[in-house]
Order: sequence, then structure tokens, then C-alpha cells
Amino acid sequence: MDFQELLKDLKKNLAEILGDQYSDFKKETKEDLEAFLETSKDKLERWTKLMANGEISLDEYEWLVKSQKDLLTLQGLQQVGVSKISLGHFKNKVIKTIVDVVKGLIF
Amino acid sequence: MQVKPFFLLITIIVLMVSSCAAIRTAPFDQYSYQKAVEIKVEASQLMDKATTPYQEHTEAIEELLLDAQKMVAYEQNKPNNGISYEMWKLLADADKNLLAGFFKRWNEQGQFSPVFLGEAKPQVLEAMDILIHYEGKKDKESENSLMNLIRANQ
Repeated sequence: MDFQELLKDLKKNLAEILGDQYSDFKKETKEDLEAFLETSKDKLERWTKLMANGEISLDEYEWLVKSQKDLLTLQGLQQVGVSKISLGHFKNKVIKTIVDVVKGLIF
Repeated sequence: MQVKPFFLLITIIVLMVSSCAAIRTAPFDQYSYQKAVEIKVEASQLMDKATTPYQEHTEAIEELLLDAQKMVAYEQNKPNNGISYEMWKLLADADKNLLAGFFKRWNEQGQFSPVFLGEAKPQVLEAMDILIHYEGKKDKESENSLMNLIRANQ
């Protein structure tokens, strides 16, 4: 599995699937999504391979991706403070979409 | 002209108060730092047991989660402490996917596979490290703020 290709497909599919919703997103949310995928690339690659090999379940994969989002929220709090934290509007719906897209690309 | 020193004193006090307000970060708190480290170490030891049934560790887990809840309440009532409070809230929220979320999932799943544990545990520890680092940094920040304050009013 070529993860770089998968990541490219993931970004493309996310834009297509989220469609109108995606275009309605604030610029910051789009940037958050891009930043999330970029910052979490290594972990996402490892978890995606583990799921593809059947070593973790889809549920476990989703838990890990959500934990990564929460972790970045925590980092954001430390770096920019409560009033400026941006991942707050990065909804779990987007995480669900990421998991669904990866699932579709793998299985 | 005896009024002048009085006005000078008032001006200095006003400057100091406004400088303090602008900092808006709670000072370093030894208790917060120490509790964060303790909870991290205890959580790490408990998480190592997550490949065994949750029921065997219920008491210890509940104690740990209660400690985390106590920290949320403790941090909530300190002035200018929004960031630490939000961090603890995130860690102690069972519907999120960090400290309390880990134990919630362990409870729901019964026990974890070594592979999942190997991926989930570092996520929680990384989160605790961010909090501990932030609390530790307050010491340096407090010192710097104090130095700036002194310099500004010299």
C-alpha cells in the first residue's frame, strides 16, 4: 500500500464527499483539516497499515484518529490559548468522514 | 509639592496592576505540577494492564479518574487559568479520546489487544506530557513576567 497515494486520495475524496459542506467551511477549518492530515501523517500511515493488516479494528482505528484530534486540540491550547483555539470547530463528523474514506480505500 | 511622590506611587501601582492583568496566566503552582506528574505515572501503570480484563482494576481506575475530576475542579477556580482548566477538562472527559476516554473504551471493550494498547497508550501519555510541560513552563513564565515588570517599573 502506497500511503502517499492514499493520503492524496484521502484529501481529494474528502473535498468531494464533504462537497457543499466543505465549501461552506470557514477557511480556518479547511486549513485545520490540511494541518491535521499533515501533522498526523506518520501516525495515520501506521494506523492505516495496522488496520489494513487486520491488527486493529475499524473502531480502534477511529478511536486513535479521534485521540489524535484531541491531542492536537491540547497542543493548540498550549500554543495559542483558549480564545484562539481553532480545532474546536473541527467536528467529529470530519473525523468520521476520514475514517469512512480510508475504509473505502482499503477494503 | 508634597503631593508629587504620592502621584508617582499611584502611577507605579497602576502600571504594575495593568501589567499583571495583561499577563493573564496563573502563576506556577507546585501542587498542580505534582498532581499532573502523579496522575501520569499512575495512569501509565494502569494502562499497562489494559490487556487484562477491566473488571480486575475497577477500583484503581475509579480512584484515578476521581483524581482527574478533582484536578478539573481545582484548576477551574484559579484566576487566569483557562488553559490548564480546558486541558484537564479534555483529559477527564470520558467522551473524548484521551485519559478518561481510554479507560471508558477499556471498560466497553473488556480488554485491549497488545497492538491497540501500544498505539493508544502513547497518545494518552503524550497528552499528559503536554499538560505537564505547560504547567512547568509557568514557572519560567512567572519569572520572566516578574523580571519584565521590575524592568518596566525601574
